[in-house]
Amino acid sequence: MISPVLPFIPAPDALPLPAPAPLLQALLLLTFTLHLVAMNALVGGAVLAVWLRRPGADRQGEAARTATRIGKVLPVCVAAAVSFGVAPLLFLQALYGRWFFTSSVLMAWPWFAVVPLLIMAYYGTYLESFRGTRLGRLRTPLGAVTAAVFLLVALIYVNNTTLMLRPESWPQLHFGNPGGLQGHTGEPQLLPRWLHMMFGAVAVAGLLLALWGQRRRATDGPGGMHMRRLGLGALWTGTLANTLAGTWYLLALAPGVRPAFLGGSGHATGLLGLGVFLAAGLLILGWRAWRRETVALAPVTVTAVLALVVMVAMRDAVRGLYLARHGQAPAAAVETQGLNIAIFAALLLGAVATIWWMLRQFARPAK
Amino acid sequence: MNYPVWELPMGGGVLIAIVSILHVFVSHFAVGGGLWLVITERHARRTGDDGLLAVVRMHSRVFLLVTLVFGAISGVGIWFTIALVSPSAVSALIHAYLWGWAMEWTFFVVEIAAAMVYWYGWDRLDARTHAIVGWIYFVAAWASLAIINGIVTFMLTPGGWLQGHDFWTGFFNPTYFPSLVARTAFSLVQAGLFALVTAAFLPRTPLRAWCVRYNAAWVLVATLAGAASGLWYRAAFPGWSEAMLGALPILPVVTRWLVLGTAALALLSLWPLLQPRRWRVVGAVPLVAAALLVFATAEWAREAGRKPFTIHGYMYSTGLRVADEPLVAAEGLLAHTSWVDPAAITAGDPVRLGGELYRNHCAPCHTMDGYNGLRRWLTLADEATIAGILPRLAVLRGRMPAWHGNPAETGALAAWLATRRSTESPVPTGATQARRQAWDVSCGLCHTTDGYRPLRDSLAGQSRDDLAALVDSIQDLTDEMPPYSADEAQRERLLDYLAELAATPAGGGAAIAKGATP
Repeated sequence: MISPVLPFIPAPDALPLPAPAPLLQALLLLTFTLHLVAMNALVGGAVLAVWLRRPGADRQGEAARTATRIGKVLPVCVAAAVSFGVAPLLFLQALYGRWFFTSSVLMAWPWFAVVPLLIMAYYGTYLESFRGTRLGRLRTPLGAVTAAVFLLVALIYVNNTTLMLRPESWPQLHFGNPGGLQGHTGEPQLLPRWLHMMFGAVAVAGLLLALWGQRRRATDGPGGMHMRRLGLGALWTGTLANTLAGTWYLLALAPGVRPAFLGGSGHATGLLGLGVFLAAGLLILGWRAWRRETVALAPVTVTAVLALVVMVAMRDAVRGLYLARHGQAPAAAVETQGLNIAIFAALLLGAVATIWWMLRQFARPAK
Repeated sequence: MNYPVWELPMGGGVLIAIVSILHVFVSHFAVGGGLWLVITERHARRTGDDGLLAVVRMHSRVFLLVTLVFGAISGVGIWFTIALVSPSAVSALIHAYLWGWAMEWTFFVVEIAAAMVYWYGWDRLDARTHAIVGWIYFVAAWASLAIINGIVTFMLTPGGWLQGHDFWTGFFNPTYFPSLVARTAFSLVQAGLFALVTAAFLPRTPLRAWCVRYNAAWVLVATLAGAASGLWYRAAFPGWSEAMLGALPILPVVTRWLVLGTAALALLSLWPLLQPRRWRVVGAVPLVAAALLVFATAEWAREAGRKPFTIHGYMYSTGLRVADEPLVAAEGLLAHTSWVDPAAITAGDPVRLGGELYRNHCAPCHTMDGYNGLRRWLTLADEATIAGILPRLAVLRGRMPAWHGNPAETGALAAWLATRRSTESPVPTGATQARRQAWDVSCGLCHTTDGYRPLRDSLAGQSRDDLAALVDSIQDLTDEMPPYSADEAQRERLLDYLAELAATPAGGGAAIAKGATP
């Protein structure tokens, strides 16, 4: 179906894509998955730290120590989330720039606000990491504000990535307010999709915390145990909440998209089925590990990684289905820059090797 | 043309300038500061100077907090901002230089990781490994600069890329190397400058004095190197001489401030160099201000030199591609403008359509009262004058793209622009200024008195009556000249100015008219 808003969807760029679209798509999904892990560690970690310092919580015990440990690593999580966030944004703009640039302009101010908000929250994590107890009574509110800003940034991102799928809303938004001082708050996907991502973040951060705690048990039994138990609790609770948010999200999908996940498309339905299966697996395995401290974490970790990959694929399917409603534009021309792809691949390998070497040096016992 | 235009009262260019000037100020520190850290750390370890090593460590914490947080995020911020203001240009860059950005990203990731390992590794790594990590940081940071420099200079001077769109031809373009040397030099200026600031907080010991002198030497030597590379850069700058004569009125002004800032930086660095014991943090204020001035004016000059393009010779700031100009000229602008309010088309009101044309084709660079503000000029012109100027935009000083509207579109835009005029008279009260303004808003749009397209010599010796006759029939002179229309008082003021000009020989008083660029 070609909808009447088509004139507002920009034409493909006159310059050719410098690589076959499937390669860019693969790089987009791969780097986005890395970004997601780092972002989950960051947002989920920030939320868990706030939970651990909630009013009435024990300020001296393991909970406080775990919160401090999380606070120490959050700046590293921000750095990782930003580093792994740049690449998918790049590939997204190459593949979906026509939709993404447009939706960004329509909500220009909120989108621009991401930059100062991130700078603020990033400094918030360093304040906690470097000054910790010296922050005194400001410590808890600072952590709460920092976490809230990260959640807000995530909401702005979800707002933009859903608005880009909604060309039918574009003209009204833009001509109503060409100053860009608005979000697309009426989007039915907005809240469930954001909640789905954020509960997922808490769950993944919980799992990472549990794995960290498991390692720590060798040197710090009670501390490691606390981290493991708390982390697995967060994984289980986050996943349970996500079954609800996921259902809401499914129901909030546009009428032309939802049926694809309910039998209309083998690909989409298969992904949803797999996602539900893996979520059920996470709930069962997560519960067992949570309740019994001797249960190994490998099965639940593998399940969580698979679930994350399926979620990324499903998110991609949603994007494809939404954009297909307006008729896919003629495929952009491709002129593969083979040499440059080879240079990039070599540099990427070099970067991975260099970072691996540095981390290995760092992980060795202190001098 | 293809994308909606973000209506920003301050002007998109100003927002880009704010974000990018702050970013380059810090990102150059992120490069040069990396070299400062490894070199100074090595010196401290070789001489066994634990005090200096502690200074390096303290400074590396400031370095981490400034570059990793503000530097990295504001860099992403530039990307966000230019994509909001010039989505077509960013789309073109993403297509032409996707693999350039991707290569840069690999260095960016290494840079971030190395900075963290360097800082967190002070107590965990042995001296040699710590130094290697520092070098990894610096090499990655500089490589990142070297790649971004390729893309930024490509936008100014794409050179042979315009034929055949070859990646590396555009990358190693005519301004690539001079710009790379200049940016490297000024990154070392930033290294010394930031270290001068942190040195001011050290206890007053001989070590402090040594640090102050050492850092001042970084600033001075690097500033001189930067100034030399600036001269080299100038030689490759597109249309430099013409622009300095007044074709691009802003360039001489910006360049003057750039030279002033560079000189101030060099001179001010002499104080801590010669009087290191008397160095205080307030002394850093004028130095930082001078460095900010240098970065702001250098980036501004580069941006101005690119006008009216976002990618020189390929795409205008409005998103129009040079290659599409003939088609647009033949079919009209509205036919090639996606984001026209359907309600305006239905209403069929030309003034409203003019507003749509303005938002899509003028607002990318102009505001009414702020940056490149139009209202001041519009208020002095009538609708006929505006309509007469529009088809001649490409001739104006200040470098404008050609206007491709058909007569109906030109009339619509002129009608809308005429509604933007202020009710308050913008004529200055002083007679001299009022005469000068009459020149600025008419002849001065395209001419100068003695520089670019000079008029003084051709007017020399003419009487006021001759000049009046000339002004009244100016449209007969060449096809490029629009008819002159203004109220009688304004016409008289212009004639006064021209008569004054005709009576004053070159060099006899009146300086080159810089003119106002609407």
